[in-house]
Order: sequence, then C-alpha cells, then structure tokens
Amino acid sequence: MSIENVGNMNKMLNNYSTQDWTKSASIDQASLPNFNELNINAAKGATAPQSFSEIMAASLAEVNNMQVEANKAIQKLASGQTKNVSETMLAVENAEIAFKTMNQVRMKVIEAYKEIMRMQM
Amino acid sequence: MKIDDKTMQALTASLKFRQLRQELHASNIANAETPGYKAKKLDFEEALARALDVDEQLTMTTSDSKHFNAGGGGFNNLEPDIYEDSNGIVSPDGNNVDRDQEMAEMAENKLMYDATVQLINKKLGLLKYAIGSGQ
Amino acid sequence: MDLLTSLKISSSGLTANKKRMAAITSNIANAQVTRTAEGGAYKPKEVVFGSEPARESFAEILDGELEEKAQTVHATEIVNSKKPPVLKYEPNHPDADAEGYVAYPNINTMEEMANMIEASRAYEANINAMSTAKSMAIKDLEIGRN
Repeated sequence: MSIENVGNMNKMLNNYSTQDWTKSASIDQASLPNFNELNINAAKGATAPQSFSEIMAASLAEVNNMQVEANKAIQKLASGQTKNVSETMLAVENAEIAFKTMNQVRMKVIEAYKEIMRMQM
Repeated sequence: MKIDDKTMQALTASLKFRQLRQELHASNIANAETPGYKAKKLDFEEALARALDVDEQLTMTTSDSKHFNAGGGGFNNLEPDIYEDSNGIVSPDGNNVDRDQEMAEMAENKLMYDATVQLINKKLGLLKYAIGSGQ
Repeated sequence: MDLLTSLKISSSGLTANKKRMAAITSNIANAQVTRTAEGGAYKPKEVVFGSEPARESFAEILDGELEEKAQTVHATEIVNSKKPPVLKYEPNHPDADAEGYVAYPNINTMEEMANMIEASRAYEANINAMSTAKSMAIKDLEIGRN
C-alpha cells in the first residue's frame, strides 16, 4: 500500500459524491420493466398487449413446433444421422411436458369458463 | 399426431431391421471359426434416411393434392443392404470375423433397439394421454 | 420370429463349441497314450466347422428378407489329425517297435490349452449373443406398456 495508491483511492472516492449514489438508488418509475408486457413481448415481439386468444394460439403453435422438432429428432436417430440418444430423449420429453402442460391449461380454461357460466345474473 | 405418421413408421421399420441385424451378428459370432466364412453386415440406415427425407430435400412440389410426392414416402418396400464385409483381417482359413467387434456392434444394436422401444412407448403414451381426456 | 432364428443360430454355435471342447479335452487327456484299440498311438482329434443356412424350410426363406444369409454352424466332422506321431527312442518301453522307438501322439499340450481358452471365449460370445436376442424379445413385450 504505497502512498501513491492511497492518493489514487482518495481521488476515486472523491469522484463518487454521495449525491450520485443516492440518485442511482432511487426508484425511477419509468425505467422499471412492465412485467405484464414482458412475457407477451418476448413471445410475439410486439409492443401492444395481446388478447387471450392470441396468446393461446401462439402457445399452441409453440407446443406443436416442439412436437415437430421431437419427431425430427426421432427420425434422425432412427436413420442413423445422429447417435445422440440423450438429445433425442430430451427433445421428446420436452415436447411431452409442453403438451401435457398445454392440456392442463386447457382444462383450467374450460373450468373457468364453466365457473363463469354458473354465475347467477 | 397420427398413429402411423412418418416417425412411427420409421421407428417400427427400425425395430424390424435391428432384429435382422441381431440375426446376422449371431450368425457371425457362431461362425467365427468356420473356414471360408465372411462376416455379413446389414445396412438399413441409408434406405431409412432416404425414405424419411428428414430435411425434405428430395420432396418435389405438387400442383394437385392427388399427385404423388416423388421424394420421401415409400416405407412399404424398404430394402436393407445385406453384404459381406470385405474389410477386416482374413485368417489363413479364410475367415474374417472379428468376434470382439461383432460383440461390440451387437451391444450397440441392443441399446438402439431399447431406445427405439422407449421412443415408441413415449409416442403411444402421449397418444393415449390425449385420448384419455388428459386425466 | 426373427429373434427365434437368432436363438437357433447361437445355440448351434454353443453346440459346435462344446464338441470342440470335447475334442480338446480328449486330446489333453490322451496326450501320452501309446496303445489304442485300433493299434498304434492315440490320434489327436480335430473338429471341422461348417455353416449352413439358418432358415431351413422354403416357406421360411420366402418369408424372410434374409434368404439364406444368416448361417448356423455345426461341427461337420470330427477328424483324426493328419499329423504323424512323434517318435521317441525308448528301447525298454513295452510298446517300442523293432528299432526301439515309441510312437507318441503329436499333441502340443500348450497349444491345446490355448485352443481350450479360445473355445471357451467362443462359447461365452455365443451365450452373449443368445442373451441379447432374448432380452430384445422380452423388450418387445414392453411396447405399449407405460
């Protein structure tokens, strides 16, 4: 710890005034991410909020895509173009889980619909 | 998710061919000391790849739905290639079977067979799940 | 059906190797025999292997894609070795001939031991092939079971 290092550190500390610290620590409303829009934006790449049916359609397409990819992986394994069994198994498993999740969502949606229809007006 | 889509056909064809391959391995191992016997091999992967046409490079566009697609398809007449292995060291009595290699290939064939059965089970299982209203 | 043919082929390999073992053990046991019923020294036994198509009936051949490609093996012959007996000079031996030479079987025990190890390995390999075919057949029964 030479005198020069101490001098440098002193200079660095003086550059960061306490004001700067508190300013960056304050919560700036505009810079917070909008969590509601995040997932939709990531999925569709659009900025406007999507309707529920559009979200469902997009998810269905995604699940179907995973099935197609899993099928392709199986075909590659069966025809010897790849020897990686684990990769194929993982792809198939992923597709299956996505499908089953989708199915659960479907059941929940139907349940919610029935619940709404049961409401006495 | 049809029962008989390309993938299922490929898997069932693969099962059949791996059984035949097991027969040839058994034959090679049993005849590892027979004079003049040449090791036999079965190659079905190429024929299967062509029939599957995974990346759809061989498919041709059709103008009418009733026209046949000349590229892929054709799982009914898949011909495996059975040939005598010309590589390998030929011993003085004319036999060129490498017993250890046969056993290693047989083990690999068995593993792939098991994997194929598992994949068939997975696909059938998903189908059954979809039929069973997801309960 | 195809896997049963595989079992038949492997079992033929087992039988052939068992016969080979019998020949080898016979040779080792009789390595010093100078007097046999047929006269003369013991003649070493050798086994000749031959192969034939695995599918016997024509209907099977028509059905199967393999035609006659998969071959069973069998020990076609057990022949006496053509090697001439080894002559040793032992004039006091009861089986010595006019010049005092005794004919011993031309059996190299070390060679026979090596053959025995080879036969045992071949036997194991055939067992391996058989159990692979069997477990593939059992795996077939698991299709659709989840």
